[in-house]
Order: sequence, then structure tokens, then C-alpha cells
Amino acid sequence: MKKTPLFDRHVALGARMVDYAGWNMPVQYAGIKEEIAAVRKKTGIFDVSHMGEIRVSGQGAGEFLNWLLTRRVTGKKPDQITYAILSAADGGTVDDLLVYTMGEEDYMLVVNAANKDKDLVHIRESLNSYQTAFKDRQPAIAIVDESDLYGQIAVQGPGSLDCMLEAAGRLGLDKEQEEKLKGLKRFHEMTVELEGEDRNMIISRTGYTGENGYELYVPASRTAAFWDIFIEAGVEPCGLGSRDTLRLEAGMPLYGHEMSPDINALEGGMSFFVDLDHEFQGMVMKDKVTRRQLALVSDTKAIPREGYEVHVQGKKAGVITSGTFSPTLDKGIAFALVDLDTPEAEKVEVLVRKNLQPFSVVQPPFVGK
Amino acid sequence: MEGLKFSKTHEWVKVEGDEATVGLTDFAQKELGDIVYAEPEPVGTHVEVEDIIGTVESVKAASDLFAPVSGEIVEANEEIGDEPEMINQAPWDTWFVKIRMADPSELDELLDKDAYDAFCEEEGA
Repeated sequence: MKKTPLFDRHVALGARMVDYAGWNMPVQYAGIKEEIAAVRKKTGIFDVSHMGEIRVSGQGAGEFLNWLLTRRVTGKKPDQITYAILSAADGGTVDDLLVYTMGEEDYMLVVNAANKDKDLVHIRESLNSYQTAFKDRQPAIAIVDESDLYGQIAVQGPGSLDCMLEAAGRLGLDKEQEEKLKGLKRFHEMTVELEGEDRNMIISRTGYTGENGYELYVPASRTAAFWDIFIEAGVEPCGLGSRDTLRLEAGMPLYGHEMSPDINALEGGMSFFVDLDHEFQGMVMKDKVTRRQLALVSDTKAIPREGYEVHVQGKKAGVITSGTFSPTLDKGIAFALVDLDTPEAEKVEVLVRKNLQPFSVVQPPFVGK
Repeated sequence: MEGLKFSKTHEWVKVEGDEATVGLTDFAQKELGDIVYAEPEPVGTHVEVEDIIGTVESVKAASDLFAPVSGEIVEANEEIGDEPEMINQAPWDTWFVKIRMADPSELDELLDKDAYDAFCEEEGA
């Protein structure tokens, strides 16, 4: 198993460790309920160093990425971050990711740890397809795996800005950068030069919890020192267990569940992030929508789990793609994928062990707005 | 914990006459993490060894409890569903079901405390 720069810290904190996508990662420290409460009420930190960073740069990079992804990356402000889906030619999902603009024709794609190697192959093969399809364009694009250069810490919760400002000096921010951080908008980023490092730290106002938060892309060798700053300030360390429940509470999808090679972005509830008015690889997905997504909340104590059947008006309509107990709501919550022709209904049933249990259909997010 | 017997699926068994009271061990509750749901099988259920006698769920996963002995469930702890966190807080005092045993010799197949502790050490490794 691979180790992030924070491995020793997790062990020292007594974390329960697990193999996640080939990485030795903390699944919990104090406990999932406590960690979720910390993020919803104060601040929590996550080691997300296992995420992949793929640099795509060179002449024509922007135009290539526009074609590669469900949304354009060009025409945005230079500090703006784009969430988009990477699709196969048949419309199936390869990954979901964030695109950071690093400079002119210079982009960093932040991808799921489990998919990084596959994504690299896909992007390189797609570039070949692209060059064949658009012979008049002459891109000169480099695709570089920069994952090992960065560690990554996510700081999440209503207290996260205060927490970041407290730590700002020790994180290498000057007064001007502190002001910039205060004014940083969601899905925007800023860079901080670190003394003695040839790579800048990137701070983005992004996250996977639904709370306010910041993600720090730190030159790998500085990650542990920066983690220590937050721990010493009393921020709660949080693992992958709480992370998965927090993202589901926030109504956010997870590759492999809501989207997959078999579930395209439109079926995965991501139509807001699919711009059908531009040409992109996999746009055939618009003709391959046979299912739709529902968000469900339990009407009883029953907890929905991935794979459980969903019945609507007495007929099997689909399955749960992600399900959990939400400690914040004190209820079971889930995403489900049902056939497109399923009748609209406010109430459905989920087969939990041998009994059909009542669930209400809601508009996501489950927690927050 | 005196006189308790244990199964390899981490249930504890307390025997009184021909009745076996069953709960989850401390090892099991630690493995499961915060328990948020618990439901015993209903009174009247006839079980063979390793049949399901209840379900617990943590935030992330569902897990079954298995009958350490065969017999009939004569009592089920109805209150456990309202306070599932008691399984984490007091595993030895929180019971799931009482089984009227069909064959008390099945108790000989279960582990005593030392054997169970050794079993847990191997599992944890």
C-alpha cells in the first residue's frame, strides 16, 4: 500500500487504517459520529493526499479540455475552478474531477485516487482521438502526473475560515494574502509561495462536505508540518468514513456509485455540469438516458444501503447507489437510480432485508441548502 | 463476564437454566464503531446454530448477529432499537435475545473467555 506524507501522523493519532484504492488511509480517529459533528458544527481536517493531480498544459490545452470534459474550462476567470465529468466516447463516466487554471494554457486536473492511473491512460488516448478528429488543430500538449509532488489537506466546517486565518502566518501567507483568503469566493483559488519550495501551495475554497471549507495542495514535504498546525489548534482529524457520510448528506455524488462506466453523467444527476451546447467526447450520453436519480429519506428507523431494491407503486423501479445513516438528520438517506419511466411519486419503498420500508423522495442536498 | 461463553462471530452467551441470553462482545462493538440501529428477531422465532437472531448497523454498514445455540427466541429486547448506542457503551449489559435451548450440549462448542480472547488476538492481527 502507498503512504501519504501524513501516514505517521494518523498512526500516532490512533487512527483505524484501511486499504483505500491501494493507499494506507485513516477511516476514523475518534469515531465517525464525532467526526461528522465536528465538521457540521466547528472544523475538521482530512488527509486527501491520495487524490491525483494531472497537469495538462501547452498550446491548445484549453480547447482540448473543452472537448474532453462535459463543460468548458476556457472562458473562465483565471482563479476559477470548474467541476466536470470525464466521459468515455460511449458516454459512460470515467471520473469526475476539478479543473484548476494554473496559467495560460496550463491546467491541473484533480481526480479520484482510485481512478488516477486509468484517467491518465484515458486522457492520453483521448488526445490521440482528438488530434485525429481535428486535423486542423495542432495542439502541443504535455500530460504529466504530478500527484507525488503534492500532499493535500481539506479543512472543512463553519469554523474553517477562522481556522485558516489563525494559521495563515504559519502557513506562509502574508497580510495581503490573508485579505485575499478572506475574500476568496467558492470554487476559486489562490497560490502562496513557500520559502524554500520551488512549487507554490494552492488554496481553493472547495470541499466534499457541504460546509464552507478550503483545500490545501501542499508541496509534499511540507504537508506534515502544516497538518500539525491544525491539530495543535484543536481541529478534529476526520477520516474516510466520515467523509463519505458527509458528502452524501451534502448531496454530492461518488464515482463508482452515482456515476460509472455504466451510469453516464446525465443519469447520475449531473445535468447541471453537462453543457450539451458544446462538442465533447461522450456527448452521445444525451441519447442514452434510460434512468434518473432520486434522493430518498427514510420514514422509519430502517437504513438504506447500496444495492437495496427501490419499489415505486408496487413495482421494482431501481436500486440504491449510495445509502447511509445520517447522524446529522438521525435518519437513513440515499441516492437511488430508477428507470426513466418510473412514475413521479412522493413516497417509495426500499427493500431492507426482507421488508419493504417507506421512504420519502426529497430534493438534495439532505443537509444544508 | 464470569461464566460467559463466546461464539466465533462475537456473541456472548449467559446461561440460566435452559435459557441462553445473547449479546454482542466488546470486541464486536469496537469493530463496528458507533452503532445507530439494532433490531432483534421476533419472539417465537425458531433458530438453528448460526441463524440470524438480530441486526446491528453502524453509520456505514449492516451486520447480523448469529445464534450461538439452537432453540426458540422466548424474549427479545425491544428497547435496544431506541438506544442502540448502549451496545457500544455497555456491551456486556446490553442483551439482544433469550433463547430457550433445544440442545444445551451445543454450549460445549462455544469458547470460554481465554479461548475467545486468544481468538480475538488472532483476528486482530
